[in-house]
Amino acid sequence: MEKNEAVKKKAYDPTFANEVFKNVDSGEGIKTCMQCGVCAMSCPLKEHMEYSPRRIFALVRMGERDKVLGSRDIMLCTSCYTCKVRCPRKVPVMDAMHGLAHYALVQGYVPRKETAVFGRKFWDCVYKLGKIDEKAVAQNFMLADGMVAGIPKAMENMPMGLAMLFHHRMKLLPEKPIKEIKAFRKMLDLAEELGKGGDK
Amino acid sequence: MEYFLYWGCALEAGDKHYLVSIEPVAEVLGIHFREIEDWNCCGASIGYIGGNELSGEILAARNLALAESQGHFDIVAPCSSCYVVLNKVNRELQANPAHLAKVNSILAVGNLNYKGSLKVRHIQDVLINDVGVDKIKAAVKHPLTGVKVAGYVGCQTVRPYGEYDSVEKPVVMDKLLEALGAEVVQFDSKMVCCGSGIFFTEQALGFQQVDKILTDIEKNGGQIVSTACPMCQMNLEVYQKKVNEALGSNHCLPIVFITQLMAVAFGLHPNKAAALNHNIIPAAPVLLGGH
Repeated sequence: MEKNEAVKKKAYDPTFANEVFKNVDSGEGIKTCMQCGVCAMSCPLKEHMEYSPRRIFALVRMGERDKVLGSRDIMLCTSCYTCKVRCPRKVPVMDAMHGLAHYALVQGYVPRKETAVFGRKFWDCVYKLGKIDEKAVAQNFMLADGMVAGIPKAMENMPMGLAMLFHHRMKLLPEKPIKEIKAFRKMLDLAEELGKGGDK
Repeated sequence: MEYFLYWGCALEAGDKHYLVSIEPVAEVLGIHFREIEDWNCCGASIGYIGGNELSGEILAARNLALAESQGHFDIVAPCSSCYVVLNKVNRELQANPAHLAKVNSILAVGNLNYKGSLKVRHIQDVLINDVGVDKIKAAVKHPLTGVKVAGYVGCQTVRPYGEYDSVEKPVVMDKLLEALGAEVVQFDSKMVCCGSGIFFTEQALGFQQVDKILTDIEKNGGQIVSTACPMCQMNLEVYQKKVNEALGSNHCLPIVFITQLMAVAFGLHPNKAAALNHNIIPAAPVLLGGH
């Protein structure tokens, strides 16, 4: 009896699925997934994934919270839109993967540190300036763990940086904020509050 | 023909050669562009890490609202990432009045409001449908005869909506290249993703993507690669040397924007208009050899 209940729980535990539908951006789209696997077949990085989007969605339904929110796969999306285009049930696969990644980070999981840090620095720059300052985002990313850890990373990326500089593809002066930056930030604060994505 | 040009952040720095070449090419074709005053970043494909979906939508919606208040022209986005983000949000707002109202309640903080009257289009859409192949052919002074060009389409240039081209078998870039007199190379990886926004942090995987694409192009005789996406340009060109070092390959393919090829074919200045001096892997020997 006990064993049966454990099996039953494992096969179908709606608690986490409901949490996903409620809190994760585009998470409710997962409801319509019929597990056909077209997304998994279409993904350019499928060979590098442990689960694939299809199995991630199955794990959501099985209540495997840690497995889903801790999986590197949810941060391996290149945003190529192939899965979204091909899904026969019109599941916004890509958006749901992005939603899960955002939610995982808010919940304190770090499915993929490098991308999480880079994405954070990117967003901080958007918030600060309203625009992206490519060199500042790259620098902040490389120095995220301090000078000592940053030097080898900077050295590794130096040849590309120099090539860009040499071919005048780098702005030398710091980027200025957009004119209405204050109102812009207020809008983002309000969107953060009114949107989904999980409570911080 | 008048449009808003939303060029985005990349075209001001790392992909400057796209913007430099767009302007003179547009002039030849009778296209007038105006800037959206005080535009902001679109959030690109990595914005979701730091911002929730609604925040991302606000980034796009603010640009749409600003444009709408400044004139009634289609918004042309040359950067595929800007195009896809702006277009996606625009379509969702137009289709869903309740959501538009919610977004407008946030835009109101900055005294903005979007009615939903504008269209977002990719530059290739404008070139093929508004300008047309005939007008482009007529502007060609130095046809790219004998130059074997691989039209690499990538992902976000046509996906997900396929508004101006097929999402599985795109032909628009090849048609534009043919109009320039180039010899168009066919290859299977036309739409294989380059790694896009996570390339920088997933380099080992990105290198394999780039190697796959470049190997396929070389196998089919391509001498130069045409793209309409800043991220494809960056990932395929700037990292090519590193890909060679990491995987023992020997790629040496110039990667240029389609507008750079147009500038060359229109007989415009190789650096001032075609911006070839910004290419790290020199494109001039392949393109200007015969002139």
